[in-house]
Amino acid sequence: MIQNTKCECGHQNPPDTLLCESCGKPQTEIPENAPLEMRYDGMARRSQKRNPNPLDMVWNFFSSVKIAIIIIIITLIGAAIGTIYPQGNTAEYYKQTYGWGGELYYKLGLSTMYDSWWFVGLLVMIGTSLVICSLDRVLPLYRALSKQQIRKHPMFITRQKTVYTGPIEGNAEQWVQELAGHLRRRRYRVHTDGTALLAEKNRFSRWGPYINHIGLIVLLLALLARTIPDWKLEETIAVRDGETVQVPNTNYYVKNEQFTVEYYDQDELPDRLKNQERPKLYKTEAVLYECVESCGEPGIEPVLEPVIDYDITVNHPLAYKGVKLYQIGYDDQPMLKAVKPVIEDKQSGQVYGPFELPMKNPQTEFTVGPYSLSLKAQYMEFALNDEGDPVTLSRDPKAPAFIFIVKGPGIDASGEPYMYFPLQKDKERFSQDQINRTLASKIEIRVDGMENVSYSAYTSYLLIRVDRALTYVWIGLGICMLGLLMGAYWHHRRIWLRVDDGVLSLGAHTNKNHFGMRSDVAWALAQMKIDVEKEKLDNGGYNS
Amino acid sequence: MSWVDFSGHAYLVAFILYCVAFIFYVITIAGQKWSNRNSKHHVARWGRMSFIVSSAGLAAHLTFFFTRWYGSGQIPTSNMYEFMSFLAMAVMLAFTIIYVIYRKPLLGMFATPLAVLIVAYASVFPKDVQPLIPSLDSYWLKIHVTTAALGEAFFAVGFAAGLMYLLRIVDYTRKDNQARKQQRWIEYTLYVIVVVVGFISIVFSFRGAGYEAHFTQENISIDTQGQTIIRTEQVEYNLPPIFKPYNSHADSVDSFLGLEKLQIETPSWMKGVNAGRKLNTVVWSIVAGSLLYAILRLIVRKPLGAVIRPHMEGVNPNDLDEISYRAIAIGFPVFTLGALIFAMIWANEAWGRFWGWDPKEVWALITWLFYSVYLHFRLSRGWQGLRSAWLSVIGFVIVWFTLIGVNLIIAGMHSYAGV
Repeated sequence: MIQNTKCECGHQNPPDTLLCESCGKPQTEIPENAPLEMRYDGMARRSQKRNPNPLDMVWNFFSSVKIAIIIIIITLIGAAIGTIYPQGNTAEYYKQTYGWGGELYYKLGLSTMYDSWWFVGLLVMIGTSLVICSLDRVLPLYRALSKQQIRKHPMFITRQKTVYTGPIEGNAEQWVQELAGHLRRRRYRVHTDGTALLAEKNRFSRWGPYINHIGLIVLLLALLARTIPDWKLEETIAVRDGETVQVPNTNYYVKNEQFTVEYYDQDELPDRLKNQERPKLYKTEAVLYECVESCGEPGIEPVLEPVIDYDITVNHPLAYKGVKLYQIGYDDQPMLKAVKPVIEDKQSGQVYGPFELPMKNPQTEFTVGPYSLSLKAQYMEFALNDEGDPVTLSRDPKAPAFIFIVKGPGIDASGEPYMYFPLQKDKERFSQDQINRTLASKIEIRVDGMENVSYSAYTSYLLIRVDRALTYVWIGLGICMLGLLMGAYWHHRRIWLRVDDGVLSLGAHTNKNHFGMRSDVAWALAQMKIDVEKEKLDNGGYNS
Repeated sequence: MSWVDFSGHAYLVAFILYCVAFIFYVITIAGQKWSNRNSKHHVARWGRMSFIVSSAGLAAHLTFFFTRWYGSGQIPTSNMYEFMSFLAMAVMLAFTIIYVIYRKPLLGMFATPLAVLIVAYASVFPKDVQPLIPSLDSYWLKIHVTTAALGEAFFAVGFAAGLMYLLRIVDYTRKDNQARKQQRWIEYTLYVIVVVVGFISIVFSFRGAGYEAHFTQENISIDTQGQTIIRTEQVEYNLPPIFKPYNSHADSVDSFLGLEKLQIETPSWMKGVNAGRKLNTVVWSIVAGSLLYAILRLIVRKPLGAVIRPHMEGVNPNDLDEISYRAIAIGFPVFTLGALIFAMIWANEAWGRFWGWDPKEVWALITWLFYSVYLHFRLSRGWQGLRSAWLSVIGFVIVWFTLIGVNLIIAGMHSYAGV
């Protein structure tokens, strides 16, 4: 079927145009007395194409605002379900803490639902809908607004939401020019064509929603980009006082020079919180090093060069070339850092030493007086497994143990093994003297006095982050916000009028805030000595 | 007298002025039909007076805010009392802005009682100044919390106008199913408001009587290394315990109607800080609110909506629809900025990630998605009037869940905001 789409003004419109692109005359049957449907200025949209092919059908699906709303509502409900129980724990945790409900939650995959295919799929669908909805509307709207006819069809004018008709006195053209002057004072752009007038302001606000959508698309793309390897890194490291640790997956090392915590004084706290230790500030005095030589070669000390000094506190991360180190917590359990033991010759009572024995990365050979010690094995948290073999339970020096091969006076020339527990409690627990047997009667390695023991008081937990998509996230959000502001706080207003045989027909349209539109029209008419109540200008229909 | 004490007095003054302003706004609207006067003249005169009083209330509230800020040395938005009183102030600020645009005194009739309720609600929480923990010690605290609250305040004004629209439009003479459904839901909304009133009155009654109950609770948690950690905590109740804390025993319980013997245990899945006490308070509020509602119904002998409805005659429903929509349209960008963008910037500074699917974050997103649905329905699908008004009511429920419900039921990064 071929539809005749030529308007009576002579303009050839595309099929499914609601209002003539030129004069604005309605092209379809419309209900009596109802204001015109002015969305996108009555232009035909691509999604209204007849005989759609499969691609058109996909386009049509995503171009529907109704579909967009449904997708948003599903996303909203999905997101809410994900907050029922905490995310990202083990199956065991859900079962123990929440019973069968937790078990079900885990089995349905809701414990990691924000990364699930269906949730990400919903976000992708929102993104697609944003692109297609916007394109489907912004292009016809742009065309309509960039070529506007000044003299509109009377039916177009009198069926706007804000209308006025009435007689005027004097020369019509002069009257129109005078009104144009008043409207210009209200910052309207006015175009006249004899006895017809078009006044317009804040057209840019029409682009607000589309700019907002562009921002959201950039944001969603940035979020997707975070799945690219190397774009995102997230690791937590524990650094003890005075320790240097490699920043995982980078060429950097971080040293914790000193970690400090300040607490609020008791007189700073209200009664209810008295006697609580409420931290005020905690910080890591950190130095970031870059490895310049022998990086990652086993057995060789890497050569480090300091690049930046910074006091890392909560809310103030260390940032260097896209790598950020955040203070996320601390542990105040003291841990053994180093001891300075001595060696006593049990026969003569002679004491040799002391010598420095750090818990982390000690040297392997020591010479103390006549004795020489070579380190054969080291355990950070010593324990015996089910078979009775020595193992270490963790990398923290909670129960350190050292096995030395000792040579010296009165000892077998090939050396004898000596097991040394720096902590008294471990020495008793694992019965050091019985392990060492005869050697225990010849020598003793021990620490004299607390001044020869050094502890590190705190472990500082640092979060390492690399997030290359972050810049784009901020750009997307910025664009989104700009669009929102444009669209929400400015309103596109247009006034059309024509005078035919001494009778004025005026119609006005705005996409938002009809109150303001009405006041503008009432004000302009009042300037021309036509007093009309604002409410009387209202032609009924929707407010938007 | 310290600045903080002085601010407390200013707060009381603001509360009283809001109450007076509420009465004035009611006279402005209800007085139109009084026999001895010209209605237009009456509205102009009383409307102006009401606005002066409510603005004076706002000025006192601002005085409270800034003197407390000065006195405590930190912005008063860091615990529940401070946040709620700030929210009430933001509601009055949003109302004042909308009033200046539309000059409709009738909006005051619904915005001022909302502010009064929130102010009273705030007073339920401990008022002392709590020094900030390090993660809160950032200028983003000021920026994020204030803008988010301002956005929510505009949604609150949108809700007030939406509810008024519903009360104005729903026909209580009709008896068909459709009309009955509307009437029931409006009545339910009003009932919920009465429950809030019930909550505030019950808390103040027992506080006035000095009621106390103490429990010792054992919290068992499993740390990252799989070790079990047991912490014991003292929990104080100021309402008689219907529900005692999970895994706890009573140390001392004042007697009240034999309730001290009842004591049902709070379910373990309620995770928030002091979940037991909060659940107990919710149950008490529902009991007290229902009782209050029953008494009101006994006095008036018809639905509360039907009582308010005649006073709404002469109000243009289109104006209400427009105001409700505009308040939400103004609030939406503010909310986006405060509750999402600033929140993301701060989260990125403090925790090293801008988004972590923390329950509070998710609910802020849900609120945002919901109001974006509202705007799309309205602007693209032509949902106006009744449907739009219901959406504004539902939206406000979501806002409150985000503010209160998340802290009550779900624990997360924001759990320190709850008391």
